[in-house]
Amino acid sequence: MDIKKQYFELIKARIDDVYVKQNDKISKIAEMFGECMDNFGVVQLFGVKHGEEFVNELNYRAGGIAPFHALRIRDLILKKMVNQADVDSGEVYNDCSLIEKFNEIYDLDDRDMYCLVSFYGNEPTLIEMAKRAKEKGQKVVGVVNRSSYDKCGGKLLDYCDEYLDMDSKDPDIAFDLEGTKVGQTSSTVANVIAQMLTAEIYKYFVDQGKKAPVLLSANIKGADVHNNSLTDPYGRRVR
Amino acid sequence: MINALRFKEEISSLLDVLYESQKDNIEATAQAMKECIEAGGVIHVFGSGHSVGLGIDIKNRVGALVPIHIMEMTDFVTKGGISPEEFTDKKNIFERKPGVANKLYELYDIKPQDIFIVISNSGINGIVIDIADLAKKNGHKVIIITSMKHTLAEEPRHPSGKKLYEFGDIVIDNCGPHGDALLPTDSEAKVCSVSSICNNCIAQAMAARTIELLKADGFELPVLTGDETHDNELRKKYEGRA
Repeated sequence: MDIKKQYFELIKARIDDVYVKQNDKISKIAEMFGECMDNFGVVQLFGVKHGEEFVNELNYRAGGIAPFHALRIRDLILKKMVNQADVDSGEVYNDCSLIEKFNEIYDLDDRDMYCLVSFYGNEPTLIEMAKRAKEKGQKVVGVVNRSSYDKCGGKLLDYCDEYLDMDSKDPDIAFDLEGTKVGQTSSTVANVIAQMLTAEIYKYFVDQGKKAPVLLSANIKGADVHNNSLTDPYGRRVR
Repeated sequence: MINALRFKEEISSLLDVLYESQKDNIEATAQAMKECIEAGGVIHVFGSGHSVGLGIDIKNRVGALVPIHIMEMTDFVTKGGISPEEFTDKKNIFERKPGVANKLYELYDIKPQDIFIVISNSGINGIVIDIADLAKKNGHKVIIITSMKHTLAEEPRHPSGKKLYEFGDIVIDNCGPHGDALLPTDSEAKVCSVSSICNNCIAQAMAARTIELLKADGFELPVLTGDETHDNELRKKYEGRA
C-alpha cells in the first residue's frame, strides 16, 4: 500500500482503539473540567516538549472551550526569566521553581485546576507543580504515555486525581522501512484525544442545561466580539 | 448529540476525504522535498497561530527529517528586535500585520535550492502571505497548506487583495470546514477543530513519502535514528540552517 495511505489508515485504527480504551476516562475528565469551569475556575495547561501540542489543541482554540489557560515556557523566555539554552537542553524541566515564575507572570487562582501533559511524567518541574496544586486542594489531571511512564518510573500520577493515557508505542514510530524508522503517530492521536475531550466538555454543559462557552475561529468576521465576551470576565486569567 | 464518539466518527470520515482528494498534492510535495534535500537544501516551514504545530510535529524525534527549519514567530522577539509588548498582543493584531515578515525572513540563512511550506487555515493574514510572497519573489518553490472552505469564505485582509493559496506552486487543502470547528451545535458556534489533526496527517504522510523516495534513490538519509553519534553528526551538517 502507498505509504501515505498507510499513515491515514494507521491513524484511523489508532483513533478507534483509543476511543474503545479511553472513552470512559475522557468523559470523566471532561466532567472534572466542566465542574471546575462551572465554579469560575480555569483549567491550567502545561505540556513538556511535544506535550505542548496537546496543550495548544485545548487552549484558546477555534471550536474549543474558553476557560483554559496555557502555562508557557515561551512567555518566560520573552520575559527573560529562563534561558533559551536551558530550554534547548531540557534543563528547564528540572527547575522546581518554574511554578513560582508562572505565578509571577500569570493570574493563577485557587479555583483553577491543572492538566499536566508529559510522555514520561518524570520531570521534576512537572511533579512539583502537581504536588503544589494538591497541597492547595486543587484537582490535577495527568496526561502521560503509560508505557513510557512505567518504563522510566514516572511519579506524576502519584499526585493526580485522574489521568489519560496517550496510548502510544515507545518509541513512537509509525513505520519501519527496511530498517529505517519513519514518522510518528502520538501527536496526531493526542490531538484527537484533546478534541474528544472538547466534545465531552461541551456535552457536560449541555447536560447541565447551560450554554457551553465555545470560541469561534479568530479568522471569522465578528469572532473577536464573541470571543472577548467569553474571555473578558476572566481578565488576565485566560488567553 | 455531541460527544467523543460523534467526533471520532466524523474525523475518520474527514480523513478519508482528505486522503482521496489530496493524495496527488501530497505526493507532489514529497517529490519537491526529495529534490530539495538531494540538492543540499532545507525546507522552511512557517505557520502562524496553531498552524505552527505541523512543523513541530515532524521535527526533533526519532524517524524525523533533519533538513526542516521551523521559522518561529518568537524569533521576531528573540532575534528580530520586535518588542515583547508588540508581539504578545491579546487581539491577534500582530499576525494580521502586513509588512513585518521581511524582518523574520532576513534572519535566516536561505539558499537558492530551499523550498517553503507555509501553513494557514484561513490564509488571509498578513505575515503568512508576506512570507510566501517573499519566498516566491526570491525564486523558491512554495507549498501552501490551507483550508479552501475557510479561505474562500472570508474577505482578504492583505493589502494585495490576495489570499495565501494564490502564492502556492502546490496547494494542499486540509479539507477543514470554515471556522475550523467540525460539529454543528444549536447556536452559531461549531465545536471541535480539525486543522491540527488534518495538518499533522498531511505532514506525516509527506515526510514518510519523502524518506521513502530518498531511500529509493540511495540517498544517505538525513533522518534521526536515536543513535547519539549519528544524530549529532547529522545536526551538525545542517547547523545554522535547520
